Amino acid sequence: MIEDGGKHFCCKGCQGVYHLLTEGGLESFYAKKGDTKLTPVAGSQQDLARFDLEGFAKKYVTQTENGFNEISLIIEHIHCAACVWLNEKILHQTEGIIEANINYTDYKAKIIWDPQKIKLSQIIEKIQAIGYDAYAYDPKVAEEKAQKTRRDYYIKMIVAIFATMNVMWLAIAKYFGFFSGMDKDIKFIISTAELVLATPTLFFSGWVFFRGAYFGLKNKIVNMDLLVASGALLIYLYSIYVLFSGIGETYFDSVTMIITFILVGKFLEVLSKKSAGDSLDSLRAHIPDEITVIKGGKEQLLSATEVQKGDLALLKAGDMAIVDGVITEGEASVDESNLTGESKPLFKQTGDRIISGSTCLDSTLTYRVSKDFKNSTLNSLTTLLEEAQNKKPRIEEYTNTLSRYFSATILTLALLTFAGWYLYSGVFEQSFVTAVAVIIIACPCALALATPVATLVGLGVSFKRGILFKEARHIETIAKAKTLLLDKTGTLTYGKPKVVKEQILKEFDRGILAALLADSKHPISKGVFEYLNAAPTQRLDNFKALEAKGLQASFEGKELIGGSKRFLQEMGYTINREFSSSHFIFGIDGEVAAVYELKDKLKEGVKQDLEKIKGYGVTPIMVTGDNAAVAARIAKAVGIEKYYSEQTPTQKADLVQSFHGGVIMAGDGINDSLALSRADIACVMGSGADVSIKVSDVVLLHDSIKNLQEAIGIGKTTYGFIKQNLWLSLLYNAVTIPLAVAGFVIPLVAALSMSLSSLLVVGNSMRIKLKWR
Amino acid sequence: MDATTITLMITVSLFLGSLGVVAFIWGLKTGQFDDQEKMMQGVLFDGEEELNDAAKKERKKKESHDEAKKKDT
Repeated sequence: MIEDGGKHFCCKGCQGVYHLLTEGGLESFYAKKGDTKLTPVAGSQQDLARFDLEGFAKKYVTQTENGFNEISLIIEHIHCAACVWLNEKILHQTEGIIEANINYTDYKAKIIWDPQKIKLSQIIEKIQAIGYDAYAYDPKVAEEKAQKTRRDYYIKMIVAIFATMNVMWLAIAKYFGFFSGMDKDIKFIISTAELVLATPTLFFSGWVFFRGAYFGLKNKIVNMDLLVASGALLIYLYSIYVLFSGIGETYFDSVTMIITFILVGKFLEVLSKKSAGDSLDSLRAHIPDEITVIKGGKEQLLSATEVQKGDLALLKAGDMAIVDGVITEGEASVDESNLTGESKPLFKQTGDRIISGSTCLDSTLTYRVSKDFKNSTLNSLTTLLEEAQNKKPRIEEYTNTLSRYFSATILTLALLTFAGWYLYSGVFEQSFVTAVAVIIIACPCALALATPVATLVGLGVSFKRGILFKEARHIETIAKAKTLLLDKTGTLTYGKPKVVKEQILKEFDRGILAALLADSKHPISKGVFEYLNAAPTQRLDNFKALEAKGLQASFEGKELIGGSKRFLQEMGYTINREFSSSHFIFGIDGEVAAVYELKDKLKEGVKQDLEKIKGYGVTPIMVTGDNAAVAARIAKAVGIEKYYSEQTPTQKADLVQSFHGGVIMAGDGINDSLALSRADIACVMGSGADVSIKVSDVVLLHDSIKNLQEAIGIGKTTYGFIKQNLWLSLLYNAVTIPLAVAGFVIPLVAALSMSLSSLLVVGNSMRIKLKWR
Repeated sequence: MDATTITLMITVSLFLGSLGVVAFIWGLKTGQFDDQEKMMQGVLFDGEEELNDAAKKERKKKESHDEAKKKDT
């Protein structure tokens, strides 16, 4: 605790922020934030210089008309409205910033600034100074476009709904008049008002159907849009004729209602297509876009695309290599799990190759670049994935074909009805009305609503459970799957070694061991550190991390050592034990104090969830890069009969393709990405690598097999309801169309029963929610 | 009720209703509904201070745009 002027602070950072705010006259922030607890201010890991790089600017910064710069940022560590207020306030007070707008929902900020007055790095520094952090993101053009489409549909729908609501009360008055009698002039007034409402609905809101019908005809396709557009237009024109001739009934209410109902269906479809992109931006593990290069003896930060073959580049501990190269200086443990799936780090020294996508764990390496960014392993893998993704089968084509035949059949039927009635009775009006009734009653409202409403409910249910379907059609695909391929590391297991056995041979202070392990990035040290769950209490001297071997330090004259059996033997310890798995031995002054055995542990409840998945009729198969012995052990533990071991990323991908009839692939790392992209449906753990999230169809935010099981379950349920809905609407048509053809149904009743069938479908879809409460 | 009254009533009510729709669409198009949270939280930030801020913000925006225009000419 730090005391300062009667106020207490947990750390220097918070104290600094307080003073900064007081100076700027912004203390009211503390009152505004209410009971919200703030996290202590931590120093940012980001290198500010990168924000001013040319490559960075090219990627993220856009120019406004007035020559100002604009960037989209995601602000991190925002908890409440007061945080947004503070950030906006600080930015507005800064000279040179013209506009700063932060979204309260997703914490995305749009900042416009004058590059002549302030640099971007200075802006980020401002944000960091008050305890937040900012990352740039690419506001995807596709996403903005999708948003615009959504808004357009929304406006069209609002207009249509407004018109429908008003037409309804006018219609009710008219229906009353139908039974109790009504003056001709009053009827004319009401009908005219209906015409006024129906016109914008048909031509403004309903424009999408005319456009769809037009493009369909241009490509010689009779689609649903044509059916809707021609039906509505025919009724509309006929009603105008009736209105002025005074014979028969007007059906403007039917026109508005048909357009509105189908438009609602279309809107739901557009809505469910909304990609999960929003939530993904913040999930993204950032692939670095700059690299430290040594030029003329000096370190320089370059953007990834500027690095050339032959440059000397520096890879610091904890960094990910973005270009391939050969090590010229230094040695270190390198984690290649991103590329190979192998969780154990490899030891690399001068002359060894370093592959882009691998992470340096414990020391600094200098390497000569052998491939520029465009040709690097990481980049070519990403490009490959993007291409593969576009080749996925589109099942929805099938439904479209169905509706095409449906539309063509109905139009022909209506035409035949008209011809038949005209020949039979010779009365134009009656024949026309009957034909129109056929079109209205067959109006594929229910058919059009059947899929989107059910998928929307399904998407909502799964979103609540942390399952993000990127597109609505993936629900259908996951429901049809027969095989589930599972990656082992990170999917079935945690992907991080955890201590399974501790053996204390000599009492010691746990704080000392924690201090020894605290700074190591090696997964085994991390595993032991986590297990200890103790804070480093002592300061150690002469701390040394020996690459890929172990840790060494001294404390109060005693020598501390920790690492593998081999390392301790090298240091003169006698250990007469064999270890079958990963281990960590801690020694003090020549004596072994403790032995830890570590294993990659299974996630909880995997077996039960896999049982359920089998119950859905999906066969789980395990695929792993690990050796056969480990694979067999894990497979047995979770009850999987079939498994493939020692698979490389490409072999995994081939394996995926060798299965037919719907394959789900679940994985998490870059090493799974190729296989993921080839699968019919790819499920990725939310903590997975950036690239694999990109190629995935379903993101599981809770990282568990339970999530996966629910995703499949919800998919199956939803698909079942879609089928039910389709049957319902087809059944409805099968019953009503013959009646309409026979002339038993007037258009008015047809419109009413059409609405009823739509409600039936919507109500039925809501039952998905009941099933997955 | 005679025809004129009915005509008048229908016209007036439809006109008023459409005013609401037009206002709503205007709000949508100018992005006032883009951020639902902001709308909800807006109530918390409507003191004198915030009004002054908003005015300052507008002025600053205008000034820098004017400046940029001057530079261009």
